[in-house]
Amino acid sequence: MAALCGRLLSCGGWFPPHQVVRHGSKAVTRHRKPMHILRQKLLAVTEYIPPKPAIPERCIKAPKKEVQEPSGFEKLLRREVEVTFNENKMITVFQNNSIKSEDLKLLRHRLLKHDIRMKFFPNQILRSYLGNTKYRNLLPLFIGRNIIIVSKEPKAKELLQTLRNTTQISLLGACIEDVLFSRQGVVNYSRLPGMQVVRGEIVSGLTLMTSQTCQLLQSGPVHLAALLEQYLKQQSEAATGLKGTESLEQKEIQGSPAS
Amino acid sequence: MGEARGCPSSLCPLEPQAEPLCGPGRVCVPGEVGCRCGCDTAAMAVLLRRLGLARLGINNNSGCRGLYQIDAKVLSAGLKTYEIPPRYDDVIIPEKPKLKFLNKVPNYKKPRRWMKRLGDIRGPATRANTLTRGEYGIVALGGGYLHWGHFEMMRLTINRQMDPKTMFARWRVNAPYKPITRKGLGQRMGGGKGAIDHYVTPVKYGRIIVEFGGRCAFEEVEPFLSQVAKKLPFPAKAVSKKTLEEMLKEDEQKARNNQNPWTFERIATMNMLGIRKVLSPFDLKYHGKFFGKSRVPNRV
Repeated sequence: MAALCGRLLSCGGWFPPHQVVRHGSKAVTRHRKPMHILRQKLLAVTEYIPPKPAIPERCIKAPKKEVQEPSGFEKLLRREVEVTFNENKMITVFQNNSIKSEDLKLLRHRLLKHDIRMKFFPNQILRSYLGNTKYRNLLPLFIGRNIIIVSKEPKAKELLQTLRNTTQISLLGACIEDVLFSRQGVVNYSRLPGMQVVRGEIVSGLTLMTSQTCQLLQSGPVHLAALLEQYLKQQSEAATGLKGTESLEQKEIQGSPAS
Repeated sequence: MGEARGCPSSLCPLEPQAEPLCGPGRVCVPGEVGCRCGCDTAAMAVLLRRLGLARLGINNNSGCRGLYQIDAKVLSAGLKTYEIPPRYDDVIIPEKPKLKFLNKVPNYKKPRRWMKRLGDIRGPATRANTLTRGEYGIVALGGGYLHWGHFEMMRLTINRQMDPKTMFARWRVNAPYKPITRKGLGQRMGGGKGAIDHYVTPVKYGRIIVEFGGRCAFEEVEPFLSQVAKKLPFPAKAVSKKTLEEMLKEDEQKARNNQNPWTFERIATMNMLGIRKVLSPFDLKYHGKFFGKSRVPNRV
């Protein structure tokens, strides 16, 4: 530097108008090096400006409703629900009011003896399935804790008898052979006589009149025959000579209503 | 002819009854014997009405929904769906899963003194800046030197915290190889370069220091990796493959979305306003993202 100045001075004493004296620390320092003000300004000017649309995206974009695909377990349960509702003629819904598990087990055993099964399904799946089928009117029943008791044959009487003494389970409603019943309806249904009996009754009622025709037709001659027999008996008695006038009088009295 | 209308109680969706009991305009009395429909689980419906959760929807527009409409949200416990836990079938735990011991002094036949070469700290790392062997690692977010003390700290902490049966760790930096000289205490300037004091490993921004892998999730590994990262002489953090990718993507996106028409690159390359007076060729290359050994944050 000194040598250069010397040479310049000897040339005629011309110094360059700007002389940058660069010294000081190196580029990489242990301490935080102070930045030149112009560099600071440059960094300030060239800062990142994020995009800002006139209408924010969230005002335009419709909120995406995440349609969660049902998991394998859900699909399995759904299939089971379908099978249950297709196979069983009697489907009853009971409200589950914290019955003890041992009591529940005993109840289950007692019902199984009549081939009545107890089913537990999550309400979410039941509601999603039943909403689209003919059982949609059962939806209001599946709100709280419930048990579904199903059987292939509609055995309402056995069911009610078994459940008579359990207060923790109460009947909400039933669908027996595609007909909806309330609690009273189920009770009435259980009191109905069996199919055979009803058929017998109908048949007997219809054939009541016809069964009497024979009897009606025969009643006149039968009566007449009876009277004549009596007359003959009396005649024979008269012939023997016992009670002649009284029997004649009796014959007259019998004869007038007969004619 | 009076058409056999169905029971107005829509709880029987079946064919209309021929019985005159359930005629139009007559709400069925619950449990009537003549009416075959299970009219209105009446007790429940009345209860809901009393609680104010349901109302008689006579004038509703929604088809034949029913006489009762439940307004309140039906809170029913749903079925919990469990996420399938990740499978680590393809992960092989190598023999000697722990971090190996690194020497303090390299095995030079003739240890020469090196120049300072501070450029080995400056700028971004070009080699060893991606996770190759493991899923997780520690990435340097600044430049610096690692000496043997740092290596021992890392090795001991990680070996203590990890489970060698299910995890493994690997070094991604060399053992110290760069000699650092020191003059004796109280020596004046001059008299030649000092003697080699110790050795260091230079590390640049973006270099992976330690890689971690195994049958583990990031959440298990992150605590002790970040504990180690805090103790390093430069800013560092624990990352997984995903987080590293996200960092890079964010940078790219920022560069694309920048609304500022003035960029460092543009002004520096065109030497607008003679700004190159205060910039160096290094800045031209790295566009103001690095200053000294550190990375300037939020630089696009």
